[in-house]
Amino acid sequence: MRYKEYNTNNVLEKCIPIFWEKGFRGTSIQEIVKVTGVNRFSLYHEFQNKEGILYNALKIYQERYGDVKFEILSKEGELPAILQEFYLSFLQSKEKHKGCFYIHIGTELADDDPKIKSLIKDYLSRLESVLIKRLSIEEKTKNNPAFYARHLVALFCTSMSFCLIHSEKQKQHHIANGIEVILTKKINYATGT
Amino acid sequence: MPQVLNQSYDQLVEKAQELFWTQGYKGVTAKELAAYLDVSTSVIYNKFTKDMLFMDSLGYYTSNYSDPFLKQLRETTEGLDSLRDFFYALIDALLDKTFPKSCLMVNTVVEMRNANQEITDVYQRYFETLTNSYKVVLDKAIGLGQIKYPEKKNEYAEFLLGVIFSMSILYKIQPKEQLIEFIDEQLSFIE
Repeated sequence: MRYKEYNTNNVLEKCIPIFWEKGFRGTSIQEIVKVTGVNRFSLYHEFQNKEGILYNALKIYQERYGDVKFEILSKEGELPAILQEFYLSFLQSKEKHKGCFYIHIGTELADDDPKIKSLIKDYLSRLESVLIKRLSIEEKTKNNPAFYARHLVALFCTSMSFCLIHSEKQKQHHIANGIEVILTKKINYATGT
Repeated sequence: MPQVLNQSYDQLVEKAQELFWTQGYKGVTAKELAAYLDVSTSVIYNKFTKDMLFMDSLGYYTSNYSDPFLKQLRETTEGLDSLRDFFYALIDALLDKTFPKSCLMVNTVVEMRNANQEITDVYQRYFETLTNSYKVVLDKAIGLGQIKYPEKKNEYAEFLLGVIFSMSILYKIQPKEQLIEFIDEQLSFIE
């Protein structure tokens, strides 16, 4: 067997910023070859096509960047502050591109590519379950954590798109306002009583 | 011999925005744009550039899609019920592809961000109109006694600004019934 002279995950990680910068359609295989230093033949052998590279890059993004941010939601502290920290961790992250790679790619491709659609769906469901877990132990939300989680996921989608064009102050304000409006809601609608 | 265009610039913009709406700005090459518009690439390189067509596509979108939609909203009389109908109509437009892919302005925010001042100015005008339209409807809702906390009007307007963004993702992954329930619940926050 031929010894593979590159680490697949590191190759994928290098692809994330190109897709982010140029979009999936705007990225050519030549550019991927150039940035990763892996030749076209090996890329196709490993991932089949450009789509295959993207699907795997999304997975790596979650493992290397997403998971760490999701963990913020299990930290101790006041709920609004924890939520604010969670959303802002995507927008103030030290990585070159602010926002969420899944929302970025989903905006471009989820209409036409069923695989992307299901990856985005899984990603947001995962976020929803992490939120539910947290909201189940909070006094304010424990009676209907699923209701609040649904709307906090929606706020995630909004923050990862709208807030990209906000100043630091505007994004903090928009997110804090969203959290406040959602959490202030009394439970009656949520419980259907 | 110079090529004679048999289409007006406005016709080209109208066609170009269809392509930008579904493929974005970066996902369209000058060559693809020329083929889609049925003009030679030299027209795109020398006369009507991709940037020019893109900026005017955003203008076309605002005057032909969002402005009439929002004008209608501002003219409604039923406060929160009208707002609910407005969002239901948005769900339909997204699902039946009257809006071929999400909202062009939302797509552009995600793809281009604040890449240049000219685009940022377009966002600003767009979001001002959107916010003002929501405030007009909230005022009517307040007049109708539908809102318990009228002092929260600005917070509610800001919250509602987010709906078009969350919907732009959610419509891609959720069935219609779920989207309708989502809108009902979002509006329940305006109390």
